Amino acid sequence: MGVGGLRAGRRGDRAVRRGGGPEIIAELREILAEATGRAELADVGEQVPLFGAGVGLDSLTGTLMLRGVHQRFGVDVADEDLNLDALATLGALAAFIEEHTA
Amino acid sequence: MMIKCVIWDLDNTMLSGVYLESGSQPPPPDQAMVAVAAELAERGILHAIASRNPQEAAEYAEKATGLQFAAVECGWDRKSDAVSRIVADLAMAPDAVAFVDDDLYERAEVSFRVPEALVLSPEDMADAVGWPEFSPPVVTDEARRRGEMYAERRLRQEEARAFGGSRDEFLRYCGTRVSIAPATPADVPRLHELSVRTHQFNSAGRELTEAELAALTGSPAHRVAAVRLHDRFGDDGLVGGCVVETAEDGWTVSLLMMSCRAMGRGVIEALLAWLARSAAQDGAATLAVPCLVSPRNVPLRLALAGSGFRAAEGGTPEQPAAVFTRALDGPLPELPEWASAA
Repeated sequence: MGVGGLRAGRRGDRAVRRGGGPEIIAELREILAEATGRAELADVGEQVPLFGAGVGLDSLTGTLMLRGVHQRFGVDVADEDLNLDALATLGALAAFIEEHTA
Repeated sequence: MMIKCVIWDLDNTMLSGVYLESGSQPPPPDQAMVAVAAELAERGILHAIASRNPQEAAEYAEKATGLQFAAVECGWDRKSDAVSRIVADLAMAPDAVAFVDDDLYERAEVSFRVPEALVLSPEDMADAVGWPEFSPPVVTDEARRRGEMYAERRLRQEEARAFGGSRDEFLRYCGTRVSIAPATPADVPRLHELSVRTHQFNSAGRELTEAELAALTGSPAHRVAAVRLHDRFGDDGLVGGCVVETAEDGWTVSLLMMSCRAMGRGVIEALLAWLARSAAQDGAATLAVPCLVSPRNVPLRLALAGSGFRAAEGGTPEQPAAVFTRALDGPLPELPEWASAA
């Protein structure tokens, strides 16, 4: 499923955790707040769109978000998801991470 | 590999002495190094500081040398970490930076941990002005002003960190203006330079020569746009552009590019919105952006995803590619309020 196999799905240094959806979401909220520099995003809903109005993820904050996810979960989203659908919502991203760390 | 940024040590390198051992009178700059750095700045090469000193040492060096620094890392951790942070902050490839230090240990440590970087002593640096790595073939006005623009970027970033609101609120607060206009012959050298220098926001991964670009700007079957950016911190000049093949059934963007300096400042979204609206106005049914897919241009893919483009996988395993397309019959993205089109 990789995008042309540019990089094998590398695992980061942190222990890969399994299951624990709410725990992943909590970590993702932290990464999002850090990437955007906006503490109020630390309680954004699971189904709130990340692109567009509201959160307003852009290429800069999106890059920081992907870097944070790679560091904490060892999942290189951009390498495995051409259209970056996993970044639609925090819920979608958590599901993607669970699927790729199982 | 062309060097885009030189990262300088201060003590006994950019300064002719040790800052913290000089009592009340800090050491004067090393005039030979300042002359080399000033010449490189004229060629559009940036400078940065990585020093085992307090922050005041960098402020002193900035004043005393008259140079502008795009990034400053003062502290007591490893020089290689400082170099890596500067590389990440400036969104550069590690092989696009040089590191200059008089201390053999520091040079070895950086060479070991950032092997791509060009590591030099001050003696090496004295004749670096003649080296091909420091001699870009084209030096545009934007290039000559690059140091100044990155210094403005540092100020903008410091304000952004202190600013509480969303990115759009910050762009408004900065008085951001993005203007999109048909490229003129005068824009060709800078557009060529962007096609060579951009990686994170470059769809085709192929450079266009000045002759090719000049022909395209005059071609009735193509549109070439130039994108400029300024705000109250300064004028970034021509930061992006695109080349479009305007066929009857749809528009194909054969090259989309933007300087990473403009990242996070609403430019790429404005350009993508303008493309969708212009294509629809022209009667095109679809807007397509063929893209090389690489780890380097993920920021461009983020922008495309955020602007409603979708792609199917293509290309070869060696050179993966995809065509990102967007339908034009549904609602079109609004041009952001900070953008204008001519």
